[in-house]
Amino acid sequence: MLTESNSMKPGDELLVGFKFTLNPGWHTYWENPGDAGEGASIKWNLPNDVKASEILWPGPERIPVEPLMTFGYEDEVVLLTKIYTSETTTIPVTLNAQVSWYTCKEICIPQEAEVSIPINLGNKTSSTSKDLLEQVLDQVPEQFNGTYRVQKLDDSYVLQGELENIDQYDSMYFFPKYYGLTNYSENQLYEINKDSFSLQIKASEIEIENKSFEGVVALNKNEEITFIEIDYPLVTNDTSQEFNILTLIVFAFLGGLILNVMPCVFPILSIKILRFVEQSRDSTYKTLQQGLLFSLGVIISFLTIAALLIALKSGGESIGWGYQLQSPVVVSLLFYLFVVLGFIFMSNIVLGSGLARLSSISLNKSDSLESFLTGVLAVIVASPCTAPFMGSAIGFALLQPSFYSILIFLGLGIGFSLPYLILSAKPSLLSFLPKPGQWMETFKQFMAFPMWASALWLLWVLSNQVNNQEVIQVLLGALLITTGLWLIEKNNSERDWVRWLMRLPFLLLFIFSLWLIPTSYSDLDESKQDQIAYTPQLLEDLRKENSLVFLNFTADWCITCKVNEAVALKTSKVRKLISDKNITYIEADWTRKDPIISSTLEQYGRTGLPLYLLFPSKGDPLILPEILTEDILLSYLTEVQ
Amino acid sequence: MKNFLLAILFIFAQTSFAFIAMDSEAPNFELTDTYGNKVSLESFKGKKVVLEWTNHGCPFVAKHYKTKNMQSTQELAKSEDVVWLSIISSAPGTQGYVTNEEANNLTTTREASPAHVLLDPTGKAGMLYNAKTTPHMYVINEEGLLKYQGAIDDAGGRGFMFKDLQEANNYVKKAIKELNQGKRVSDPITKPYGCSVKYAG
Repeated sequence: MLTESNSMKPGDELLVGFKFTLNPGWHTYWENPGDAGEGASIKWNLPNDVKASEILWPGPERIPVEPLMTFGYEDEVVLLTKIYTSETTTIPVTLNAQVSWYTCKEICIPQEAEVSIPINLGNKTSSTSKDLLEQVLDQVPEQFNGTYRVQKLDDSYVLQGELENIDQYDSMYFFPKYYGLTNYSENQLYEINKDSFSLQIKASEIEIENKSFEGVVALNKNEEITFIEIDYPLVTNDTSQEFNILTLIVFAFLGGLILNVMPCVFPILSIKILRFVEQSRDSTYKTLQQGLLFSLGVIISFLTIAALLIALKSGGESIGWGYQLQSPVVVSLLFYLFVVLGFIFMSNIVLGSGLARLSSISLNKSDSLESFLTGVLAVIVASPCTAPFMGSAIGFALLQPSFYSILIFLGLGIGFSLPYLILSAKPSLLSFLPKPGQWMETFKQFMAFPMWASALWLLWVLSNQVNNQEVIQVLLGALLITTGLWLIEKNNSERDWVRWLMRLPFLLLFIFSLWLIPTSYSDLDESKQDQIAYTPQLLEDLRKENSLVFLNFTADWCITCKVNEAVALKTSKVRKLISDKNITYIEADWTRKDPIISSTLEQYGRTGLPLYLLFPSKGDPLILPEILTEDILLSYLTEVQ
Repeated sequence: MKNFLLAILFIFAQTSFAFIAMDSEAPNFELTDTYGNKVSLESFKGKKVVLEWTNHGCPFVAKHYKTKNMQSTQELAKSEDVVWLSIISSAPGTQGYVTNEEANNLTTTREASPAHVLLDPTGKAGMLYNAKTTPHMYVINEEGLLKYQGAIDDAGGRGFMFKDLQEANNYVKKAIKELNQGKRVSDPITKPYGCSVKYAG
């Protein structure tokens, strides 16, 4: 037994090590010995107020025992332990340990030893072994600080990660920490690029449910080896059974239905429905055709989104629902769209395109195309309005094999278009409405307000992505577009060329307003910087201190998150309990793109928001419901230990 | 695409190994016991069978016999009319390889009570069952379906030398009891622990 110092004071921490010197050809084992064998074990005999850590195992090497594979050490190994004392510990103290281990060649010999070392009272002074112990401490694998993820594909696990200059290493190998995770003797395939790598490891044939993909990756550079620790929670079969595919499709369907009454979608659909209701109060071939075309537009749009998301995902992008709103360009464009739609509802403008014809309350020949385009438009305007049901369904959909993702999006599309389809097939369902007349025009104008309300909200999202000046630029853009639209509306000339000419200023104003759109994030406001921002390192540090941690994954564009924060998270009772129980509150803000947050979300099987994690002082975090009330939250916070 | 490696090595070395899924049919083998009789697994259809991979030189096995842990498991099996087959897959010249006479001596001196001790010097049966350690245990039911595979008990992992085997949870005893009660085996697969089986390298 070696110690870094022969003396210490109460409250000090002492690094001790057990050095094993092995004859050539002999080996001893790592904590997971592989196919056979057993790692060393240390049984401490210490006073009550002195504690010893678990063994800090240095990275192992592969020791094949044909046809089996074992993991261990040859020549020499030092197993480290940290000894913790408290302020009340009486020193001098004797550190006594019983150590048992195996040394094996073809055969194994069990060995046992009892060792004692006295520690005197005094300042820590470097012993002759200190250098060696610290050198060994460097070989103990450290938590990997890049981003990585693990996916199971058929009979293999694929570990993909990013680390700067990873290409300085020639090869890599994964040592699993537990039995039943990977196959020990099969070779592992790896690919190392400049800043990224992927490693494919055959899964164990034995199916034992492992909660996490935990182990050590050895990175080899010539003779030198660097070890990093990997621990990636695996989505167990249990959760996918809870959320079986049918349930998800039903959820997606319900989510689609709910979207119909969201403030961004309802005005467009209601006005469109009123139009053909006015036209005919009875089911006709024509109205049914309109309904079917609309549904087709909706479903094709959803499938296009699904295909796009799947393509992005397989391209390695981390994506989730609401992802699109992380781009200031998309937010600005949607803002313009909502402002324009509100303007169109308010006025009597006719632009001649399917989109603008929304304002005219009469059916005509180009209606077929228009119905289809209305479907597409409805999906576009729906995209910022995430109903709570859709967050989990779409988030989960994206983690599924592509075929299931498509089914889920199909369910969403059907749910979304069904009310419209039913009404088009049976307009008499709306016969309770008064006879068509002036009230319909009033209704249409009124519907401009929910549109503008949505626009206002988008602007608020934007204001958290870019600075004030750029927000004003976008507002100016909206002013220019509406001015252009007004010019067109006022242009009643009989002559075609005059009408076309008058559209020119609109076009110019429109192009100019596009040019005003900010394309990149600007610095955060100071108010945002006050909060404790999430980093994996921070969380790990807090977990080491056994602190209670509440981790809130949020984004300004996530309405559910904001509602939860208003009604539950930021109420005075909850805040008081959080500070009374000394819970560290951390926000992971996903308003902007952030690969670290994306990969953390994925670790918990999510690609969307919200996600609330409550870490007890020890063990796995609790995942809180997506819809929080003050009572639910208080009960969780009260119970957590 | 630099450093792209495709490994085909070792694959051929592994082909003879086969993991047997739970509840699937335990593959048949025929081996010679220490009295020169041909013994095949099939002939025990209608009875439960326990397979024990063993190697008397292995300290893990030695500890299980010294503490009578293995013998008491064998006695339970015997009293429940379960056939106990001890299989030695050590290749000639490796640890644990024994002649018939030596094997029978071991059985007597250790007061063991297997139905048969089978010699598998080619490792054929061991590889058929993916036996990796000594001891490595398998329980097969009356229909010839595999119901348990893994360690004899939960004393494995670090601290084996300290843990009293009498206090450990014996998986094989539990599996036999549960099968007798018509229940499912609650821990059908566990991590085997011990020395490596000494196959011909």
